[in-house]
Amino acid sequence: MNLNINNLQKYYEGQPVLNIENLTIQAGSLLGIIGPNGAGKSTLIKTIAGLIKASSGSIYYDNNKFSSKIQKHMTLVFQKPYLLRSTVFNNIAYPLKIRNVERKEIEKRVIEVMDFIGIESLKNQKAWTLSGGEAQKVALARAIVIKPSLLLLDEPTANIDPNSILVMEEAIKKFHKENNSTVIIITHNLGQSKRLCKEVAFMNKGKIIEIEKTDRLFNSPKHSTTKKFIEGEIII
Amino acid sequence: MEAILEGFKNAIYLLLSFDKEIYSIVGLSLYVSLASTLISSLLAIPFGIILGIKSFKVKKIIVRGLYTMMSLPPVIVGLVIYLLISRSGPLGRLGITYTPIAMIIAQICLVTPIIAGGIYNGTKEKGEEIKNLAYTLGANKIQTLFLLIKELRVYIFSSIVTGYGRAISEVGAVMIVGGNIKGHTRVMTTTIAMLRNMGDYEMAIAIGIVLLSLSFIINSLLYKLQQED
Repeated sequence: MNLNINNLQKYYEGQPVLNIENLTIQAGSLLGIIGPNGAGKSTLIKTIAGLIKASSGSIYYDNNKFSSKIQKHMTLVFQKPYLLRSTVFNNIAYPLKIRNVERKEIEKRVIEVMDFIGIESLKNQKAWTLSGGEAQKVALARAIVIKPSLLLLDEPTANIDPNSILVMEEAIKKFHKENNSTVIIITHNLGQSKRLCKEVAFMNKGKIIEIEKTDRLFNSPKHSTTKKFIEGEIII
Repeated sequence: MEAILEGFKNAIYLLLSFDKEIYSIVGLSLYVSLASTLISSLLAIPFGIILGIKSFKVKKIIVRGLYTMMSLPPVIVGLVIYLLISRSGPLGRLGITYTPIAMIIAQICLVTPIIAGGIYNGTKEKGEEIKNLAYTLGANKIQTLFLLIKELRVYIFSSIVTGYGRAISEVGAVMIVGGNIKGHTRVMTTTIAMLRNMGDYEMAIAIGIVLLSLSFIINSLLYKLQQED
């Protein structure tokens, strides 16, 4: 899915939290968004997902405005995912059920995606008995089971162990490769954005400061604030 | 103490002898309480959920009003309903004074805020998260509402049970609007109050046992559900 963002602004109680003049994300991109806390990353991704209404500006999805049809082709994984009070299987099956997919097909696709992420052993486990890493994998499985054209990930590996992080990254990479979907991931883990993303955008104070190919952004950032952030210096 | 024990023995005898009067009182109590709880639930579930997930200007005032109504004095509710439905009242034409319908209406007024308040508290805690999840997975409004009801079922069920507890144990409002008429509007609580005045402790204790048993069954059910979830 192609994304075109123009003059997007969001204000909270009169304070600007998002101000993006122009941002184009090509279909099939795997874009990482990095930046300090409060930079507006989550606001941007939630605005793209339709959860937050922008104060002004527009987002076009394949040249269309947001609609329920667009909503059905995108999913978002939250930093702290909410799992339904049911089994892992039912959690992953939910997006298919609400799309009226046949029961046999649901069974097939849920098993496929569980196998894809390596959580097939959790099939009948109750969601509330899962560890943080397992819960995050289930949330990812639930988001990709419908093979969305746009997958949005809001710090999906923020609170999980290194091994689970690698498993999640591999699954995201594989999903992107096999489906050529657009994937946008917010991360505080610079190593992760290097390993995973083709392009990285650096955000600060609600603005996209710089967007570049991953290697170029990390090796020769154009903007001094980007450089400071990458080098771990304090940004004011 | 002796009188109480004697009353207790006779109460069990009365219950086992399937006394028609006792069972008709119990039947009417169940009918009035269940009907009012059911209607209240239908009103309170969507109201509590919407109040929990939506943000709007007068929300704070509505929430305060709801909390106030959760502790409405039953006699006040009974009195207001009575004034409305009595012959000289604005709804006097309906002719429902001293009928089970009037009792159901009074209980709806008492029970709806209790159920709505309980559901609002649960929804306030988790509703936004569930709504966002449903939205980002592609659910429409109806599917989101169903998911909210399913995920908040423990809060909803416990609120309904609390509301039912209030309905079945309530005496002031049903006494005023129902009139405690034998075979017509006499329920367990009004009967106990009347029998105490008459000094007939056996019957009062018998009905008290049934009332307690029903409360015990309902609370056991709630406890079991909470344990499971």
